[in-house]
Amino acid sequence: MAEKRRVSCRDIPGRTREYETIFILKPDVTNEVIGTTNSKIRGVLEAGGGTLLKIENWGRRKLAYEVKKQLKGIYIFFRYLGNPGLVEEIERNLRLTDSVIRQYSVKIAENVDAATRTSEVTDELFANASVPGPDEEAIATGQAGARPFGDEDEEGAFDFEEAVFGKVDEPTRRGD
Amino acid sequence: MARPEQKDADLEQESGRKKMGRRKACKFCADENLKIDYKDVGLLKYFIADRGKLVPRRLTGNCAKHQREIGRAVSRARMIALMPFAVTGN
Repeated sequence: MAEKRRVSCRDIPGRTREYETIFILKPDVTNEVIGTTNSKIRGVLEAGGGTLLKIENWGRRKLAYEVKKQLKGIYIFFRYLGNPGLVEEIERNLRLTDSVIRQYSVKIAENVDAATRTSEVTDELFANASVPGPDEEAIATGQAGARPFGDEDEEGAFDFEEAVFGKVDEPTRRGD
Repeated sequence: MARPEQKDADLEQESGRKKMGRRKACKFCADENLKIDYKDVGLLKYFIADRGKLVPRRLTGNCAKHQREIGRAVSRARMIALMPFAVTGN
C-alpha cells in the first residue's frame, strides 16, 4: 500500500511529490466511459492520499504511430500530488481498464509543500473533462472554435523555425 | 604533413563552401521564459528532423544542458504518441 512503501532518502518527511499522468482512451468510447474512468482514477487518487491539481481533456487527437491498432485516441491529463506508491496504484488501475490504450506518468517535482499548491479542479471542470473537445481535423479546417492543448500556431508565439533553422549555415567538414 | 588549418582551408576552397560564421547562442539560455516541456509538441518539432530523429546541437545551437533536456522531452513525447519514433514515409 501507498503508506508502507519505502521512500527515497532525499524525501523530506511531510513533503509530497508532484506527478503528471497522461492516458489515451480508444477514440470510439462514449462520454460516459470517459467520465467513469476519470471518476475511478480520481477515487484511487483520493483514497491513496493524493490531491488532484488539474485535469484536462485534450480531445480526440491523431496518434503519431499506431497504438493497439488505433490511429486516434482521446488524451486525458491528470496533475496531482502524491507518493510513489500512489502512482503505482493509478498505473495498475489504468492497466486494468480496457478502454485505456496507453498511459504515461512523469514526476514533475519532489519535496513539494502541499499547502502551497491549490487545486484548480472544480466539479464543473471535472465533468467537462469527460467531454472530448472538437477533433483535430475539425480545428485544422476551421470548423471549430476551440483549440487543443499545445496548438503550435498561437499568435505572438516564439518563431522557432526562423530562430533555429532560418539562419543555419551550411555545416563545414571538420576533423577529417 | 599539412597542418589541419591548411587542410580545412583547402577543402573549403575546393568545395566553394563558406566557413561557418558566428556560433549560435542557445535559445533556452537566452530566454529564461522558454521552458522545455514534453507536452509542447509545437516547440519540440523544431528539434527533430523530417525522419523523426533529433537534430544535432551543431545545427540548432543548443547548449549541452538544454540539448539533453530536449532529448529527454522528445523521448517522453514519443512514449505518449505525441511524436513519432520514426517516420518511414509509408
